[in-house]
Amino acid sequence: MIASVAVVGHQNNPLYLQSFTNANDALKLHHIVHCSLDVIDERVNNPKRSVSTLNESYLGLLYPTESYKVYGYLSNTKAKFLVVTTDLDVKDADIRSFFRRFHAAYVDAVSNPFHVPEKKIVSRTFAQRVSGIVKAFAAGTNG
Amino acid sequence: MGREVAESCFDGLIIEMVSAYGRRFYATKPDLASRRIEAIGFQVGHQLIERYTVERPRFSDHLEAIKFICKEFWSELFKKQIDNLKTNHRVGTFVLQDNKFRWFTRVLIDPSSEDNEASQGSSSEATSMLLHFPCGIIRGALSNVGISCAVSADASNLPSCESCILFFALKFSI
Repeated sequence: MIASVAVVGHQNNPLYLQSFTNANDALKLHHIVHCSLDVIDERVNNPKRSVSTLNESYLGLLYPTESYKVYGYLSNTKAKFLVVTTDLDVKDADIRSFFRRFHAAYVDAVSNPFHVPEKKIVSRTFAQRVSGIVKAFAAGTNG
Repeated sequence: MGREVAESCFDGLIIEMVSAYGRRFYATKPDLASRRIEAIGFQVGHQLIERYTVERPRFSDHLEAIKFICKEFWSELFKKQIDNLKTNHRVGTFVLQDNKFRWFTRVLIDPSSEDNEASQGSSSEATSMLLHFPCGIIRGALSNVGISCAVSADASNLPSCESCILFFALKFSI
């Protein structure tokens, strides 16, 4: 089950944070996102593997802890997308397609002429679309 | 998913926007008008590049980003690619040459003022106003992928718009 999603701008400013669990854990969510940003920076700046992984957008599993896993995705414009999930076994293809849809929704939200760049995304349509994508993901993995 | 609009509407919109800023809002301050038009282009380029780089892997250096602008970005905007790209590595300048700039193929330079020396200057002033918008688009697109630069444009052999050549010069701040 996806616990939360986050979008962070290229100056590491939060653009969108949404948690899908019922608990009131916004602070914990911020903390998780913050730690993941460090992992992303480390992955992008010090490539231990070949050059091809340096340029890919999908970053994969960032770090697992005992109760959840964090997946990352970096767009060409340095916008970072993070997904925190409590699922134990998540298929790579599912997460990749989730990020693709998430990225598409983000592009549509940012193309809004009333959206101020580098400020939080306040569009309700974007929030609804993201909830829809999360629900579809949950239905896909359960069914 | 999106709806489409006739290209002539878009041409009319740009021409009217430039003339509104140049003649009505900032009639006495042409450099303010040009800066506003360039800022509009900046936001448009900023948002467009987000949309056009969705499926691509990240750019490894400046040259790749410029090549993307010359090929894919230009084809999305103008249905053709940049015809020539020159660079001066030491100085950090790139010159993009477009041999038939789509937005100018329908720009009308007033024929009655062609013989007059004084209004030769004003026709080139009008086209330079129009040029700020695509310069802003390029600057906005590059700034969103992390490259800051100054863009200037130069249009040669107007008013024969069938063969109008446009040079965009990108200067990188290092």
